[in-house]
Amino acid sequence: MVKEIERAGIPVVLLCNLIPVATTVGANKIVPTISIPYPLGDPGTSWETQWKLRYHRVGVALDALTDDIEEQKVYKVKI
Amino acid sequence: MKLEIGNFLIKDVIFGEKTMFNNGILTINKEEAIAFIKEDEHITDVDIVIAKPGENTRIVPVKEAVEPRIRPDGRAVFPGVTGDIEMAGSGRVHALKGCSVLGVGMHYGSFGDGLIDMGGEGAKYTLFSQLINICIVADTDEEFERFEQQKKNTAIRMASHKFAEYLGATVKDKEPEEVEVFELDPVIKRTEEVNKLPSVVLVMQPQSQMEALGYNDEVYGWDMNKYVPSFMNPNEVLDGALISGSFMPCSSKWSTYDFQNFPTIKELYKEHGKSINFLGVIMSNLNVALEQKKRSAIFVAQMAKSLGADGAIVTEEGYGNPDADYILCLAALEDVGVKTVGISNECTGRDGASQPLVTLDVKANALVSTGNVSQLIELSPADKVIGELQALARDGLSGGWSYDEILGPSVREDGSIIMENNAMFCGDMIAGWSPKTMKEF
Amino acid sequence: MKKAIHYINQFFAGIGGEDTADYKPEIREGAIGPALALSSMLNAEITHTVICGDNYMGSNTDEAIKEILSFLEDKEFDIFIAGPAFQAGRYGVACGNICKAVKERFNVPVLTSMNEENPGVEMFKKDMYVFKGGKSAAKLKDDVKVIASFANKILNGEKTGSADKEGFFPRGIRAQVWLESGKTGAERGVEMLIKKLNGLPFESELPIPKQDRVPVATPIADLSKAKIAIMTTGGIVPVNNPDRIQSASATRWGRYDISNVDKLESGVYKTIHAGFDPAAADADPNVIMPVDAMKTYLKEGKFGALHDYFYSTVGTGTTQAEAMRMAKEIIIKLEEDKVDAVIMTST
Repeated sequence: MVKEIERAGIPVVLLCNLIPVATTVGANKIVPTISIPYPLGDPGTSWETQWKLRYHRVGVALDALTDDIEEQKVYKVKI
Repeated sequence: MKLEIGNFLIKDVIFGEKTMFNNGILTINKEEAIAFIKEDEHITDVDIVIAKPGENTRIVPVKEAVEPRIRPDGRAVFPGVTGDIEMAGSGRVHALKGCSVLGVGMHYGSFGDGLIDMGGEGAKYTLFSQLINICIVADTDEEFERFEQQKKNTAIRMASHKFAEYLGATVKDKEPEEVEVFELDPVIKRTEEVNKLPSVVLVMQPQSQMEALGYNDEVYGWDMNKYVPSFMNPNEVLDGALISGSFMPCSSKWSTYDFQNFPTIKELYKEHGKSINFLGVIMSNLNVALEQKKRSAIFVAQMAKSLGADGAIVTEEGYGNPDADYILCLAALEDVGVKTVGISNECTGRDGASQPLVTLDVKANALVSTGNVSQLIELSPADKVIGELQALARDGLSGGWSYDEILGPSVREDGSIIMENNAMFCGDMIAGWSPKTMKEF
Repeated sequence: MKKAIHYINQFFAGIGGEDTADYKPEIREGAIGPALALSSMLNAEITHTVICGDNYMGSNTDEAIKEILSFLEDKEFDIFIAGPAFQAGRYGVACGNICKAVKERFNVPVLTSMNEENPGVEMFKKDMYVFKGGKSAAKLKDDVKVIASFANKILNGEKTGSADKEGFFPRGIRAQVWLESGKTGAERGVEMLIKKLNGLPFESELPIPKQDRVPVATPIADLSKAKIAIMTTGGIVPVNNPDRIQSASATRWGRYDISNVDKLESGVYKTIHAGFDPAAADADPNVIMPVDAMKTYLKEGKFGALHDYFYSTVGTGTTQAEAMRMAKEIIIKLEEDKVDAVIMTST
């Protein structure tokens, strides 16, 4: 999916947990998430904690859209 | 550790006056057996049906398979599950060979349930068509999950374990026809002859990905989602320390029967002292988050290295994201200088043209492939159905569907079916039985 | 008797070598050159031979194909065979091109043969049966024999075997095979490990395929003016799953209007993905499809506009071909609305 979108010339960032899967598939811009069932918010934490994490990582993904890269990159996240 | 499995070869299973084993014939008093199963008040309705190889019979939804066994010394066959928790893997256990107890839903199926055809074209897709199956066909009061796609199936699965032990009791005090012996000396106390052979571990990755408890494989009755890899004696696996869960798409599943007879363990035993020094099993797990997957791979690689393993076989109970655990583990072992072989199935898509594993690594250069979960299978109607055929289409079995604009529903009006291999009961025989491989066409 | 048509270049037609490589396409009745060897082994009559110069095919590919297809328009044939091309690069590519075109236009089986060094192998092995051929015409007889025996199976309606058995290059299509030896996975695995430990050659049953990379799209210059769309393969759908997206091996996708909501409400949306515990996503679908975070950033002016819909399907077990088709369908919608960039989540 990601590859087709990129092939069409539309910049795309993939948020996912399984980085090896994303790198194997060939996504170019990857932002890590925390798990498979809940990529952007651990239900074991408070809603505020989940929100902060989600807001941060989606922000990293948005910024990644503007990043000029030569090859595959996995972005660092703070929370 | 020395384990003796005393085998009693089953030629036939019949209903009769008295539950007993005599001359290869297992007789079951059905009324008493049903009363025994109903001792669990969660079982609201139950029938026992016998299915034999070659019959034109279809069984669905199958949730679990167990080999009937008993321990003459009174210990539980499944420690921590059917009785007190005690160490498995040594002493004597008696097994009824050539048959299995199947846990079958009377009506409802779930994601991890499968189908068995006892005869015809469908029989080749599962090992269980070759066994005499004593089917517990049951309904339960587990209302909370009746219409859920993911079910724990606790009552039916536990009934299968208990009933397997109940039937095993028929040979408790009898002399077996043959005795298989499985014995490994302690790792650092082996003869020079054995020590100079390349040493090998088996790394097992049983299914443990459900974070909610009650769905996963268990070790000594402990849910393996809350578990980190550790070293086990292969005899523990062969002797009931592990039971199967209720989550993975069925063709990728290891049933309890698979654990009890794990062919890859038996094959390593066969070569032990001849061409390899079989150190034992590193029992790992399968995880959800990448960090957990990496952590388990680290545990495994460290243990293999510290044990002095030259080689390892890694095998996973699953496909899809578990491939990431599988490949990470193979790569982590190669990175510390342990030569690896992987045994798993693949998901190459219905067209056979998709990426076979979700992660790939050139370090995984020696893989055995036991099948394609998404291969489409079309089978004609069966004369008799044990369970409920509609479950395949209606209840979200991993290889069935209720609607498809091109293929139509999985279950057709005339009783013929179309499904993915995914829902064949333990169909890819990843434990090591599989005579199937994947080839390029 | 079934009918076959054969394609060869100017050299094998006996017209000439390099000096005649610009030879324009022509069709002759009957078998010529390599086709003579082929016709003696084939359960079909070679009714015609198409001849074309390698350079002509190379520099006027579209025209050459058009001309050749027009020759074939009024012919009846059951199979089309080109080459063998051995190591000859231009000839190999020509065989591949014409086979591909014939297959597309007439939907008949097409076969060719090349040496593994021939660049045509990489270009065409996924599109047709390319048999493993020798380096030069000295191997003509052997190569033709392999092609003929496979062609006969197709002509007779017999089942054909796997790539290694039949001798063609793997086409990237894998299927289950029950081993005649009956050797189990356990036996094969232990045997492979013993070979590997002893430094002996072994053959993986799942060779790791080469990775396909896509060039990085031009990044967004000014995020505050960009229109962004969001997507997921995590199976977030309205609770009644109106598009009946499958919980595994999906062939369908859906798009759902989010122009008037600030977040995805539990009880209104859920996940139908069967590959994981759905509890967390059902309780708060934003953990998979972060509509809430996107809407907040939109209000804060971080990006210009949010596309009115989010897109959803399920990733597990979905074939690459299906994923590609779904992506193409979705891209049309994105382009209609002039979407500049995509944020995608997967599970």
